Amino acid sequence: MEMTVDARGLACPQPVIMAKKAIEENERITVLVDNAMAVENIRRLAVKLACGFSSREREGEVWELSLVRTGPLAETTDATAAPAASAADDDYLSCRIPPGKDAGPLVVVLSDNHMGRGDDTLGDILIRSFIHTLLQLKPLPATIICYNAGIKLAVKGSAVLDDLRELAAAGVNILVCGTCANYFDLGGEVAVGQISNMYDIAETMAGAGRLVRP
Amino acid sequence: MKRDDYLVFLFPSVSHALKAEKILRTAGIDHKLIPVPRHISSDCGVCLRLAPGQRDAVAKLLKGRVDWEAEAPLSPQG
Repeated sequence: MEMTVDARGLACPQPVIMAKKAIEENERITVLVDNAMAVENIRRLAVKLACGFSSREREGEVWELSLVRTGPLAETTDATAAPAASAADDDYLSCRIPPGKDAGPLVVVLSDNHMGRGDDTLGDILIRSFIHTLLQLKPLPATIICYNAGIKLAVKGSAVLDDLRELAAAGVNILVCGTCANYFDLGGEVAVGQISNMYDIAETMAGAGRLVRP
Repeated sequence: MKRDDYLVFLFPSVSHALKAEKILRTAGIDHKLIPVPRHISSDCGVCLRLAPGQRDAVAKLLKGRVDWEAEAPLSPQG
């Protein structure tokens, strides 16, 4: 049996609560919502319950979401009736602004060629793993900024050059601090991205929706 | 080459992986240190990614010098 839930005009967390109730009682539901936060929360609910999920944006800021049970629901207890559940379990009830087209771009700042402080051998492994893993982020960062010793990641012979090149090929804008390249005498060695200046770097950082610095 | 043609060597510790990497670097064998893929383990470890044709050469090089725990295909993503 199919059921349609019209959650347009309702504030978070109302749409996700209605969707949860509906999918608990029906094999397949369609939910109409009119904001990105509700889309994201219901998507998380579907993941949590191990349901199939698809969304289609209609005209005029309305999304049509489909949830289909693929088996027994992964979690059938009412979140409000399970005080033991951790906050993370009820992630889909969160009403924070989701990262999306309304927020600014995701920017990753590589300010060092190590990740974290304490041990440089470990920090070298960690930064290599981090940059390799960036390739699997969805969506990818809009921009990666390298400054100070972080520019050493973008020069010839760097162990992460292939990953950075792949990121650049996938559309990630890579800015390499020109002052830093000059200071380390690596101006001619920069092998990925574009040499940039503090104006672009400061503007990109200030305009970021989220700034990630490993 | 398709990404899922790659092979990974898994080690008992990060130090083992680093030691093995050093041996491969010295021998000039193409490799890459990557996080252990999620489908293999949820541990926060690292492993060595290799092209499939290098499996025997790598095993021969490492044998008796560094222990490794397992070999696995790298898929679905690299």
